[in-house]
Amino acid sequence: MKIRLLPDKTVNQIAAGEVVERPASVVKELLENSIDAGAREINISVIDAGREYICVTDDGCGIPYDEMELALQRHATSKLPENNLDNIRLLGFRGEALPSIASVSKLNLISRTSISDQAWKLSIIGGNKEGFSPAAHNIGTTIEVKDLFFATPARLKFLKTLRTEQRHIVDVVKRIAMASPITTIKLMADGRQILNLPSIKENNDQSILSRIDKIFGSDFGSNCLQIDVKRENVTLTGFAGLPTLNKTNSSYQHLFVNGRSVRDKLLFSCVRVAYRDFLANDRFPLVALFLDVPPDIVDVNVHPAKAEVRFSDTGVIRGLIISALKHALSNAGHRASTSSSLAALGATNPYVLPNLPLHGRQTNSHSANYHEIQMSINNSLNSDRLELYQPSAKNDENTAKDTGYDSASLGDFPLGAARTQIHETYIVAQTEDGIIIVDQHAAHERLVYEEIKSDIEKKTVNRQCLLLPEIVNLEEWQVEKLCEKSDELKTAGLLIEPFGKSSVIVREIPAILKDINIQLLVEEIVDDLVENEKVLSIKDRITDIYSTVACHGSVRAGRRLNHEEMNSLLRKMESTPHSGQCNHGRPTYIELKLKDIEKLFGRK
Amino acid sequence: MKLTIERGLLMKVLGHVQSVVERRNTIPVLSNVKFDAQSESLSLNSTDMDIDIVETVPAAVETSGSTTAPAHTLFDIVRQLPEGSQVELDNTEDSQNLVLNSGRSKFTLSCLPTEDFPVLSGDELPHNFELPAKALRTLIDRTKFAISTEETRYYLNGIYIHVSDVDGTTKLRAVATDGHRLAKVEVDCPQGAESMPGVIVPRKAVTELRKLAEEFGENIRVSVSDTRIRFSFDGVVFTTKLIDGTFPDYGRVIPTGNDKVLEVNTSDFSEAVSRVSAISSDKSRAIKLGLTSGNLLLSVISTENGSAVEELGVDYSADGVEIGFNSRYLLDITQQIEGDLARFTLADSASPTLVQDTSDDTTLYVLMPMRV
Repeated sequence: MKIRLLPDKTVNQIAAGEVVERPASVVKELLENSIDAGAREINISVIDAGREYICVTDDGCGIPYDEMELALQRHATSKLPENNLDNIRLLGFRGEALPSIASVSKLNLISRTSISDQAWKLSIIGGNKEGFSPAAHNIGTTIEVKDLFFATPARLKFLKTLRTEQRHIVDVVKRIAMASPITTIKLMADGRQILNLPSIKENNDQSILSRIDKIFGSDFGSNCLQIDVKRENVTLTGFAGLPTLNKTNSSYQHLFVNGRSVRDKLLFSCVRVAYRDFLANDRFPLVALFLDVPPDIVDVNVHPAKAEVRFSDTGVIRGLIISALKHALSNAGHRASTSSSLAALGATNPYVLPNLPLHGRQTNSHSANYHEIQMSINNSLNSDRLELYQPSAKNDENTAKDTGYDSASLGDFPLGAARTQIHETYIVAQTEDGIIIVDQHAAHERLVYEEIKSDIEKKTVNRQCLLLPEIVNLEEWQVEKLCEKSDELKTAGLLIEPFGKSSVIVREIPAILKDINIQLLVEEIVDDLVENEKVLSIKDRITDIYSTVACHGSVRAGRRLNHEEMNSLLRKMESTPHSGQCNHGRPTYIELKLKDIEKLFGRK
Repeated sequence: MKLTIERGLLMKVLGHVQSVVERRNTIPVLSNVKFDAQSESLSLNSTDMDIDIVETVPAAVETSGSTTAPAHTLFDIVRQLPEGSQVELDNTEDSQNLVLNSGRSKFTLSCLPTEDFPVLSGDELPHNFELPAKALRTLIDRTKFAISTEETRYYLNGIYIHVSDVDGTTKLRAVATDGHRLAKVEVDCPQGAESMPGVIVPRKAVTELRKLAEEFGENIRVSVSDTRIRFSFDGVVFTTKLIDGTFPDYGRVIPTGNDKVLEVNTSDFSEAVSRVSAISSDKSRAIKLGLTSGNLLLSVISTENGSAVEELGVDYSADGVEIGFNSRYLLDITQQIEGDLARFTLADSASPTLVQDTSDDTTLYVLMPMRV
């Protein structure tokens, strides 16, 4: 066999294999081109999840007719004016997208620039030029892609169902739309409008948030924390969801680096670290973060589809994201998501009383009926009455005197004044403009946990020396990695020394982790170090033990609390950070606004 | 099978064999006890596939035969029968069911076929010797507390019994450790044991054996092979599989160069330790021992509750030293010391400490400090 250069067509198809993985990749590349062209309005239309037809129309700068053929050549681009890969300011730069797409589909490129009074249309089929003629078009560019992958049938076989492919397209459009709030983006699928994201009128946080909110779904806007920090020449802005608003996967976590959406594990691990105390392991918060860095400290030329990036100093970026998220979360204090209370409202069925006869003077046949109904209502209400009526009757007279809260002073206390306890589990409090229902166990558990946690941070970890030190076999690089961090590990309670080239010897362990599988612990730590550069496993396990202690040491459901106890719990919640959710991310209280209650009764 | 037996005797035997039976079993027949009636005796047999116990007692057998019935249920029933009553066991009418008659009570228990019951014991084991019951109790009691419960180092989940040469005389020695502390005790080596292999007796077997040991007679016949150990006495035959692993070379971790010697009254010391650690809410239960000439200062600091100190007059003349321990471990060891004086031999705050009973040179404890 002779070595020879591959023909251009084959090269393009190979490149297409990397860049054009599925219809959504085509949409992504075309959409990014449009945004790079400065478009203010982009219309996307797909048929059969893009397998049949994809069309992207923009009102951007257009392509001059004499450059149109060149645009479809490999490595031809207008986006790298200085031929300098260290200074990438636009989304694209490789010059590969269009030729790659053209090599595996039937592509029409129609474009008109502002200085030209006529549009031109270039047709390419499977990478071969088929026609070049004048056409009608506004200023801007339209690219039609038909019969995607007809030239590489193998790829067709790997496509998922139409629904899945369409979901990918919608995801891609959403992600890009989030980063380009000044562009109107519309998506049609099979003639039906799927997305309509108008451009924001003013470039302020509120409008950006409302755009993100539209993309994430309506809860996010009212349940997020704003982030805006700057360190040296790096700026991080964006929004982090409250822990109580969470999902079962990480697909609602977005990081944009200089306007480019990246799916980087850096982000996921930062988010995990920052939310560690508030969420169970299998729940994920919603996050949209925009990172602005000078182009020379980020390398985007890592991944063909640019889904990953590399930073020259990962530590700084990581530190910035984690501390910004943590800071925002701490300031949130006891805020819990209102979506939980809205969901509760949705579940509230107005209690429909049966139509009771108003007076006793009814026919005999009715009165039997009346008794039955009366009985059943009495029965169903009796238990509630016992619990509710008596204490509240007392409240009416005594609350003001007993507890020192009158309605005038309520405004000073976000969680209001405790009015009563129901089912010996929930505290009902009255606030200035609504009511609060507190889960006493969850709330107290969190308070105890926060207390214990601040204690742990103060004290050093006791280390139990091992009579029989344990030798753990690892790979050589893992040993190096561990030994680099041996000081940090020692503070965490683990004393290790290298033992030969490919094992470490564990001499002391945290005393609290008495019966621990040391081998497993060390392996987890190595994983942590690789993933996060941090020793999380030990701390996680120690915190686990303490959260069990917290659970056992807190007020259980079913314990009767008096007014002083209830109010003191509420005041403590107000002053303790993170008291809005329990250790597993569930809310510790929900708030019903007066206007929501009024809505329930049809008053407004 | 049809027989009559006195309730007290049946309860005693059932009590022995049922405690081996696990509460939950994937193999149904393992929940049962096997009855085997021959001429004038009744044998009860239970197993968890690792431990096998057979006990034989006299009974008035009318028809010989065998069956299996649920062990825990049976024990519950017999326990509640009036004292002194006679119990009749009968499965002659219907082999699927065992009928238990006593006074005016009648219970019908469903049976499983005897053929399903695993046969584990029986064969002869190569090494045999007689061990005084008291010696066996000592071997177990002094070491049991140090057995590890952590499953990855499974070879530490038992007591290592082996023959060892101590200053020219052969001793039978038991050692247990959980990696934090170690307990070692030795007794005179009985004739016939000299050539036995070192064996690791698993924790559950040790616990069961210790329960039976309360009732041991004078001498216990011990049979050992590489994979099993058997204890026979008074009609009971207790066989267990051994842990298949190598016990670490514990001799290396017993320090020999420790030079600081502390002697303290055992009960004063353990009471003081227990008192000061009452303040500790921490699960690691750290306690600090500060030694100066003639004086021991015990201290515990708890971030939540405060602190506690107590001083003890002790016999100590070496250089001052400060060392931390898990108070639980200290108490576990002092509980084993029967003599008035406990001797601690230390080196420094990071090295293993030796603890001994001054009136008993057959036992030795090694304790690793905690870095407080």
